[in-house]
Amino acid sequence: MKKFLLYIVLILGAVAFAYPFVWMMLASFKPELEIGGLTLLPSSWTLDSYRLVFESIPIVRAFLNSLIVVVAVTGSVLLFSSMIAYALSKLNWRGRETVFNTILFTMMVPGMVMLIPLYTLVVRFGWTDSLVGLIVPFLMNATAVLILRQSFLTIPGDILEAARIDGCGELRILFTIIWPLSIPAIVTAGIIVFIGNWNEVLWPIMVIRKEEWMTMPQMVALFSVGGGSFGKLGPQLAAAFMLGLPIIALFLFFQRYFISSMASSGLKG
Amino acid sequence: MSTIAGNLAPGHRKNRIPRRRTAGRRIGYLFSAPYLIHLAIFFGYPLIFAFVLVFHRWDIVTPMEFIGLKNVIRLFQDDLFFRAILNTGLFLAIHIPLQILVALFFAELLNTKLKGRNFFRSIYFLPVVVSGVVVAILFQQLFAFETGYVNSLISAIGGKRIPWLVSPKWAMPSIALMATWKNVGFYIILFLTGLQNIPESMYEVAHLEGASTWQRWRYVTLPLLNPMMVTVVVLSTIGGFSLFIEPYVLTGGGPMHSTLSALLYIYNQAFYFNHMGYAAALGLFFALIIFVVVFVQRRFVEEDVY
Amino acid sequence: MKTEFKLLRVLLLSALFLGGCGAHDAPGLEEDGIAHLTYWSSQNPGERRLAVELVDAWNRANPDVQVTVQPLPAGQSSEEVLLAAVVAGTTPDVCSNIWPGIVSDFVRAAGVIALDSFPDFDSIMAARVPGDFIERVRAGDGHIYQIPWKSNPIMMQYNVRMFREYGIESPPRTYSEYLVAAEKISRDLDGDGQVDQWIGYRDIQPIWHQRFFDYYAFYIAASGGRTLFQKNELRIDREVSNTVFGFFQELYTNGYFPRSKLQSNPFIQETVATDFVGPWNIAWLEENAPAELEFAYAPLPLPDDYRGESFTYGDYKNITIFSNTRYPEAAWRFAKHLISKEADLRLIEIATQLPIRAGLLEDPFFEAYFAENPRMVPFARQMMFTRGIEDVRSFPEMLDAIAAQYEAAAVYGVRSPEEATARAIERIKELQAWYE
Repeated sequence: MKKFLLYIVLILGAVAFAYPFVWMMLASFKPELEIGGLTLLPSSWTLDSYRLVFESIPIVRAFLNSLIVVVAVTGSVLLFSSMIAYALSKLNWRGRETVFNTILFTMMVPGMVMLIPLYTLVVRFGWTDSLVGLIVPFLMNATAVLILRQSFLTIPGDILEAARIDGCGELRILFTIIWPLSIPAIVTAGIIVFIGNWNEVLWPIMVIRKEEWMTMPQMVALFSVGGGSFGKLGPQLAAAFMLGLPIIALFLFFQRYFISSMASSGLKG
Repeated sequence: MSTIAGNLAPGHRKNRIPRRRTAGRRIGYLFSAPYLIHLAIFFGYPLIFAFVLVFHRWDIVTPMEFIGLKNVIRLFQDDLFFRAILNTGLFLAIHIPLQILVALFFAELLNTKLKGRNFFRSIYFLPVVVSGVVVAILFQQLFAFETGYVNSLISAIGGKRIPWLVSPKWAMPSIALMATWKNVGFYIILFLTGLQNIPESMYEVAHLEGASTWQRWRYVTLPLLNPMMVTVVVLSTIGGFSLFIEPYVLTGGGPMHSTLSALLYIYNQAFYFNHMGYAAALGLFFALIIFVVVFVQRRFVEEDVY
Repeated sequence: MKTEFKLLRVLLLSALFLGGCGAHDAPGLEEDGIAHLTYWSSQNPGERRLAVELVDAWNRANPDVQVTVQPLPAGQSSEEVLLAAVVAGTTPDVCSNIWPGIVSDFVRAAGVIALDSFPDFDSIMAARVPGDFIERVRAGDGHIYQIPWKSNPIMMQYNVRMFREYGIESPPRTYSEYLVAAEKISRDLDGDGQVDQWIGYRDIQPIWHQRFFDYYAFYIAASGGRTLFQKNELRIDREVSNTVFGFFQELYTNGYFPRSKLQSNPFIQETVATDFVGPWNIAWLEENAPAELEFAYAPLPLPDDYRGESFTYGDYKNITIFSNTRYPEAAWRFAKHLISKEADLRLIEIATQLPIRAGLLEDPFFEAYFAENPRMVPFARQMMFTRGIEDVRSFPEMLDAIAAQYEAAAVYGVRSPEEATARAIERIKELQAWYE
């Protein structure tokens, strides 16, 4: 009986969290006038909402832009952050502690303080309206450094010693020995950076004004706020659904990694 | 030293070690260099520039004008900015307790041996990974006054429609509700981790001493969960201070400035009205507030823990 | 400073191999002896079609000056986009659809060229532009940087069928008449205790540019064609401002205007009977509304004791030539093509917008159009009685201060009109103090 009640409550919770997405998906296939109604299934399925989205905004282009930015940023973060994480955990050099403390300090400064001066910097570099402006400022990431350093610290030093004696260069040690031993940490850091970057909307709204370089969340937000959707609900929901879909799909495949990595990012912060 | 090393010829070793030591130092710098150069340009410079901007009026297009302390003076006279800070405080006051209660509730439910636990965990986590834009658009439809799904549901069962986003009283609570819905899955996971770290033996002792369920929860669970509580409070405070996309999409800061968050106001000053210097002053001041709040929170809680 | 940045930029780019993503399209080089110009038009479908047509005709007739047309890039507002383009140096050669409020920023940034330096500028303008319109765009330094292109008066659009149904014989001309009509039309049709048909609807979000269509237009109308400033001095007439706030307050407190954000277009759905719009709405409705929808236009309602000509806000959009053009002469020739009589007619026909041209209604060239499209006639008549915006710094934030008070006093009725006017003036003065 107690178990039964427990399940009822858990299922009610699940409905509360998942139902809006289901509703959104189905509503995007409804005729415009039906969306306010209470029925879940469309009386007739239609692609009108999607047609209007594709006609009024280059959403495929935006998707590709987002993809380029996210892949470039995640790749670079993993590369450079693991390099410095390696230096901070496995190499002895003067100033190591100072550097580490500096990185910790950067994490404590709220992002919004940096936002405006960073924007003006990007303006002076002439990187507004280009993907460079979305990528370069985020090539490095302090959270990733912390996560990777933590993981690298647990790798015993003699393995590296041995490899050095074998004549391995430090870069090769990093990629052929450290990386394979730190896969969970790398996945964790990768997912955090990927999600954070994919969902970022404030920075693109500031830097990108030209439609052709907009990222997907930005374009969908402007489509919904601005007049692009002509106040119609269906197209807004369709655009939002398309924006959510890739992440939801990724999440359903890698949910375990997602949950543990997001949780650990919180615990480290 | 490992066996691999032991197998190597001694001479070989002797030649290697000193060279490696110096190389290690050089490589330490080399490996840190890209990060540090990037840090200097995209963190160090903007941080300094933020302080420079405070003393200037600048619309980005025309040259900067030095205006002394005018931005600071205006800041302290700007009722709207303080309204925005209060709004953010109100948001936190609703959002954080609500979030902790809901998260604790579900974490407790999930902290039992039952089938499908991972399934529920994933479902609750779903809104966390989805972009805030999606969630905002979704709730705009759900919360619409005339045609929204929630109000249609309410009036179908005979209730009175709630002016979710169009009444100055309801708008901020609605946004807090939405933010809780979006983020709570994350905190469920954190609490769940915390609960699972409480050793079973603690409960057994309490049980032997005849503690009731409530007493066990109050005197065992809650104190042992405290470190996690700290994390949750600090994280959701920081997250709450950066409230932006929800009011940006849903209300534009209205009705009657009731959902104007500090960050939205700073954004408007910078990018709607092109007052970069003033916005920088607002941003630094607001950062100071966050620093103080988080510092006090940490202090407060650390005493509790140790 | 500049060189430092350049150095950094080169370093970074070469270090990171990311140079390939730049967005700056280089303007065409003249190796072929042809001047290539870029022209940005507005984004709305009508004006895009117009721009393509005009550019095609130009390119055929002028092989030596080839123009590429592109709609103004999307953003929250075209002003943001243009400012960003000026900063980044990616402006086009010619742009129509420039909001006059932004031009002085361009001038300060040396982003636009003085058009009165062209020898035939004065004569061209004298032939086209009526009355003192040209003086209104003269900048503080005495030069003219913008060609007055079009002006869209804000008027009252009303649903003829609904008016007829509720026994409203002619469109209301005064506040009282409008309130009487409002009382008849606003009602709860489905009996669920909520009003679901209203006299009108305005976006209630506190967005400054929304106020052009209610407070600002009504202020101009009620004051007999005055604006909030005179010669850059704040001159808000408190009486007039109170009257306007009071009028809208009455509409909202009586439930004649909905206090919510309506989804979809309520005028098309016939849930509201009036709207305050510019002539572009004709083309939009003709394309999007069902054919049965009967709509017409009349001047904005005026205070009961008002006597005199009916003024309104005119949404002016002008043409500028940006100073990074390599062919100022060719750009000027092209700009003249955009304001030719033929182009003006096409502007009216395709986009239902009004060129700033003297004697539209008398000119036989336009006669056939107006005979066939009577809906445009009131707009053409109204055009001479419009006022635009002020050339003061940070005008948007000043209107934002008014928007906040409009919301409090009119929409939510929590503040008296007098208090609202006083507070708006106070905040505008604070802003001016910051600018001194």
